Amino acid sequence: MANTIIGSSIVIDGEISGDEDLVIQGTVKGKISLKESLFVEASGVVEADIDTQNVEIAGRVTGNIAASDKVELKSDCRVVGDIKAPRILIADGASFKGNVDMDVKER
Amino acid sequence: MATGKEFPSGATGDNTVIGPSILISGKLSGDEDLTVRGRVEGELSLSRTLIVEPSGIVKANVVVKNAIVSGVVVGNISATESVELTQEGRMVGDIRSPRVIIVDGASFRGRVDMGNAVPRPEGEKKTSVVRPALKTTIARPATKPLPPKPVATRKDEDKPAPPPPPAPVLVGEGGKKKVLVKKKK
Repeated sequence: MANTIIGSSIVIDGEISGDEDLVIQGTVKGKISLKESLFVEASGVVEADIDTQNVEIAGRVTGNIAASDKVELKSDCRVVGDIKAPRILIADGASFKGNVDMDVKER
Repeated sequence: MATGKEFPSGATGDNTVIGPSILISGKLSGDEDLTVRGRVEGELSLSRTLIVEPSGIVKANVVVKNAIVSGVVVGNISATESVELTQEGRMVGDIRSPRVIIVDGASFRGRVDMGNAVPRPEGEKKTSVVRPALKTTIARPATKPLPPKPVATRKDEDKPAPPPPPAPVLVGEGGKKKVLVKKKK
């Protein structure tokens, strides 16, 4: 359950960290590090490096994304940056530019 | 919301909530209400209302329209409308707002500037500050005015009653100037 919401008119310039889900409808610049899921909604704009467990992006993200579980780029999203995660999903209609690293190495 | 995505539906309209485990450090600005249950450090400016809930901690310089503090605020608050420290509110810093409400139980250290602290132009006699009436119902023990007459005997156990005021009438050598002396402000 997401109980942190950054509303559409909010602009944050700095660092966000926490242990819970985060929904971004506004603008965040800087850095985001969470232990749970990040949701960038269609109105959300993120110019930040992201370090979380899960990321779902329907808005715009500029920055590098590192997820310990999954990154999902929904249709109509626009992402520029490198993605590093074990599972990466890119939906039809998504716009993406950057490197993808699924860390496929034998352990 | 128009988007029927499978995002968590905790998003109720355009209200921003900072959850209890979230730390935001930096600058935060916006045009909507903000509820803080976690921590915000740095700078915070809103054109609407900031609500710091009991679990919320704000270490920031705050510029808002209204602020309702039930948690902890360390920093200065400048509000264009009102600042309210509720019963659970704790604050260290300066408040600058035309309306400042501090209820019983709140903890506050700092300065308060209500701005237009000029004496009332319509020629009020004393320095009794007239403020807009509080909307919240505050259970505050009413400061009852002292009884005008000296209460000689009380029936309750309140022995150390305030000493009776000096008897207004001096029977003696013509209390002529006594009244004038007392009227001197």
